[in-house]
Amino acid sequence: MQGSWSLLGPLSWTGYINKQVNVTAGTDESHQGWLVTVDPVSASLVLVDFREDGGTSMEVVMGHAVENVTVLHEADEVTLDRLRTSVLSPATCSLDPEELSRRRAGVQIWLQKNRVPVEEEGDQLRVAGVLTITAPYGPEDCCSSNQIILDRIQRLIQLQTDHS
Amino acid sequence: MATPVSVLRLPKGPDPNSRGFDPKSARFIALCRPSIATSAASGAELQREQHARSVLRETFLRCLLSMNNKKVRFHMHGKVKVEATFGASDIDVLNFQVSDLHTPIGVQKEALIRSQDVISFTVDE
Repeated sequence: MQGSWSLLGPLSWTGYINKQVNVTAGTDESHQGWLVTVDPVSASLVLVDFREDGGTSMEVVMGHAVENVTVLHEADEVTLDRLRTSVLSPATCSLDPEELSRRRAGVQIWLQKNRVPVEEEGDQLRVAGVLTITAPYGPEDCCSSNQIILDRIQRLIQLQTDHS
Repeated sequence: MATPVSVLRLPKGPDPNSRGFDPKSARFIALCRPSIATSAASGAELQREQHARSVLRETFLRCLLSMNNKKVRFHMHGKVKVEATFGASDIDVLNFQVSDLHTPIGVQKEALIRSQDVISFTVDE
């Protein structure tokens, strides 16, 4: 697969996720680490390595420089857990359902006060049919394909967090 | 006689419909044509691929977000190693914005680094 890493495509890249890989890049550099993700736009790899002192280091290898990728190890349960908690959203809601519904109601009332059409859909909030807010309902939990609406709603929610 | 000066046009930026990059733009063709393989898949296969793509991209963006304001070390072509504070990347990952770039001749307060010149960069936490 010499030089063809960036042409593999998302489905093939997914097969390398959460595995320890050795990446050769540039003229004579090699990098080792657990593959967290591959950017589908630039084919860049994100590698995470756990140091002996307990810290983690994150490395991004640019897709255009990649020469070769080989799998060294599969991750066991412990490593998988560590990978998930160390990199990806450390604040995946550990709040109890009561607190969550209180926050959801708070955000809903705040948005309505600002004349934003918002409705409840299960445990999500839906704004004007184009934006969803998932638990725990902070600015980072908004999801929309319209970046102007996304920016406005995020700012509004940020204002609410600043006020309370 | 004065010779006419040619007009320098800047490359077209990302289109406003949040697609991020226009595969037909001169900038895209010049800089990252081989990076996106458009698959010939259709139907369920395409949907699976698009899902994988969105999951990968979201994780990548979250990783970039987590690097914001952290010290990074860039490994660049020609055995150049520089340190800087990571700021952001543009939507098609062509440039990185950094602060306090420690170059061999001094510290540059703000800088843009072309991603084509970079092999890899590291953040220690």
